[in-house]
Amino acid sequence: MSEHLQGFSGSDGSGGRVEVTLPISPRLLIEDWASLQSSMVKTMPETFTRDEWAYLISFLSPENLWRPFRESFGQEAKDGAVKKAVSLYRPRGQVGLWLPNNVSLLGPLTMILLSLTGQRMDIKVGSRSADLTSAFVEFVLSKLKPGPLATLLRSQLHCATFPRTDERNARMAAESKVRIVFGGDEAAEAIDRLPHPPGSVGYYFVDKRSEAWLEAAALSDETLSTLIKVFTIYGRAGCTSPRRAVIFGAKPGEVSAIRDRLFALWPKAWPRKPPMHIASENIMARQWAAAVGWDAATAPNHAATLCIGDTELQEIDTLMFLPLTTGERESVTRSLPANIQTVGHALATPPDAAWLAAIARTGIKRFVPLGQMHHFGPTWDGYEFWKGLFERVEVGG
Amino acid sequence: MSVFDPEQPYAVRDDAALLAELNDLSRRHLSGCAAYKSVWPAWQTARSLAELPFLHAGVFKYVRFRTEAPDIKHERTLKSSATTSGKSSMITLDRESSELQSASTLAILRDFVGSKQRPLLVLDSSKSLLARGEVSARVAAALSLKPLATEIHFLLDDAADADSMRWEVLEGVLKAHDDLLVYGFTWILWLAWLKAKRPESIARMLKGRRIAFVHSGGWKKLEALKVERSEFDHALLKDLDPQSRVVDYYGLVEQVGIIYPLCEAGYRHVPRWAEVIVRDPWTLKPLTGEDGQLQLLNTLARGAPYHSVLTEDVGRVVEGDCACGRKGRRFLLQGRVPKSEVRGCANV
Repeated sequence: MSEHLQGFSGSDGSGGRVEVTLPISPRLLIEDWASLQSSMVKTMPETFTRDEWAYLISFLSPENLWRPFRESFGQEAKDGAVKKAVSLYRPRGQVGLWLPNNVSLLGPLTMILLSLTGQRMDIKVGSRSADLTSAFVEFVLSKLKPGPLATLLRSQLHCATFPRTDERNARMAAESKVRIVFGGDEAAEAIDRLPHPPGSVGYYFVDKRSEAWLEAAALSDETLSTLIKVFTIYGRAGCTSPRRAVIFGAKPGEVSAIRDRLFALWPKAWPRKPPMHIASENIMARQWAAAVGWDAATAPNHAATLCIGDTELQEIDTLMFLPLTTGERESVTRSLPANIQTVGHALATPPDAAWLAAIARTGIKRFVPLGQMHHFGPTWDGYEFWKGLFERVEVGG
Repeated sequence: MSVFDPEQPYAVRDDAALLAELNDLSRRHLSGCAAYKSVWPAWQTARSLAELPFLHAGVFKYVRFRTEAPDIKHERTLKSSATTSGKSSMITLDRESSELQSASTLAILRDFVGSKQRPLLVLDSSKSLLARGEVSARVAAALSLKPLATEIHFLLDDAADADSMRWEVLEGVLKAHDDLLVYGFTWILWLAWLKAKRPESIARMLKGRRIAFVHSGGWKKLEALKVERSEFDHALLKDLDPQSRVVDYYGLVEQVGIIYPLCEAGYRHVPRWAEVIVRDPWTLKPLTGEDGQLQLLNTLARGAPYHSVLTEDVGRVVEGDCACGRKGRRFLLQGRVPKSEVRGCANV
């Protein structure tokens, strides 16, 4: 059981040093994860796209894997010894993770973060989509040298595919000290209703929407290329995908020129053809959008449909539809959907107090640089879920 | 003079006349349909068939196009069966087009099953006819065979249930007739005619009968069941008169009136009043001898701009004369545009 004590400087407001007790040294686990990077550069399982694999490789950097500890407990103590600790954190125990059908990389990423606690992980993956979690674990176990991580994954990780109605959902809920659910509102509510241990905690990450906000003065080619990348990787399918791009400080007539710049940059920013059905869908989307009043155009190779117009116009329900719009801060924040999650920004100057005040009046959960819209981490949807994997023990002096 | 000549669907075509007619038709829709004009605001007269404006087949699921003109009398709406998107295409029919479309379909079918009238057995339910103002693609396809029928019988009690075959109706027809026409969607024909438990008396009565089976609707569901075309045809024709035949045709509700039966040599032929263009899906450049996305055109659609439609099907135009003897353009239908999984929510 919990044998390893790791000291941290403390960042939880308690003003003193924090000790975290773990069954396995996080340093050893992080070293094992990072050791995979070189193998991953050489080999990619077919199940993954290049972008997904590249993100996974970068996610395994030691710097990134220490991030949950640092954000939750402060800097790692150099001496490692117990002294003057005011808080002790211990893992709550077994974690149940529910992943919906269309979620892919989120499975492996969450599993990596969960593994750092050394606890048993039960993962339910969707039954109608590619199971990237199992594919990744299989790859990892084929490349890992014997060590703490390999032992942990072999003995404590259980990954299974079954439908929402399967009785194993109830078993997972009953056995998990922490429930983490990604999916639709209905699925999350169904899991929350399952009997679970008193004192256990649940994190429910349900349907969310995101946007890109750009200031006209910040629209360098680099920024526009970043917008192309963050949009094109998942279209509108991700919770973190921009469903519209708002350009502050541009006159309506200037948006057309910005779209032309995006199209000129597109082949370099995203140098590959979309799948045939996506190109076809975009031809359809352009016509649909034009018929209902949008100023619609498709990107090179019909990779996306970029539309200009009043966002009151009918929304075009296709994967690669991105409306470009202008607006003022007040009106834009007022028009946000109730389930807003991420706003990826490209501002001429870093967000100031006026921006923070505006954000404070909204439900925005993440206000991050445009290029970081899809970055996953230990805090998600406003919850410090990774820190929530632990319980705090007050230690009096 | 119109290029539409139902007496000779596969004679040599007058390309210039076809282009002129389609240019006129496009102008007519642009002036009478505001939504269409919004899609093609800057279109000018086409110098080639490939320059004609088109609508993507999928857009009919979301936009109701309708061309208004003093001589157009709009009637019912033709509704496709819902696809995986759960949406149906809605095509606004008008009287003049409907007449032309019926004549066109009949001309094409005659070329494949002959002109002789005989009882038509439809693998659908008569209840499908009851929807007011709307007609399903299945029923429309069946009724296109009506001019070749002396009488029509619907063989299913429930259109959605292949096990609801009314065998007593079939038995009654078989007692009185040797030569029959049978129409059904491909998968319904497989499930209801071939796979359902057939009474022994029916099996005996079918022996030696001459039946022309006409089916449409695609192979997607049969592919899932791993049924090959040869197996399907063989099963249908087993024990029947040697002159019996199976005609599989390709058609879309967005191109009602034009069907593309598979000829004896394995090709689909384009009637003189229609055209098929194969396009590169990414550049829309017309292709010859290569696979690409099919665009289908015809001169029959007056009430809405469905005269030129980019489909979600893949095909290839084949040059040269066909061994079946039909003239004009021919093509191979290769299947649907392939789809891949969309990875979605919280996909980071």
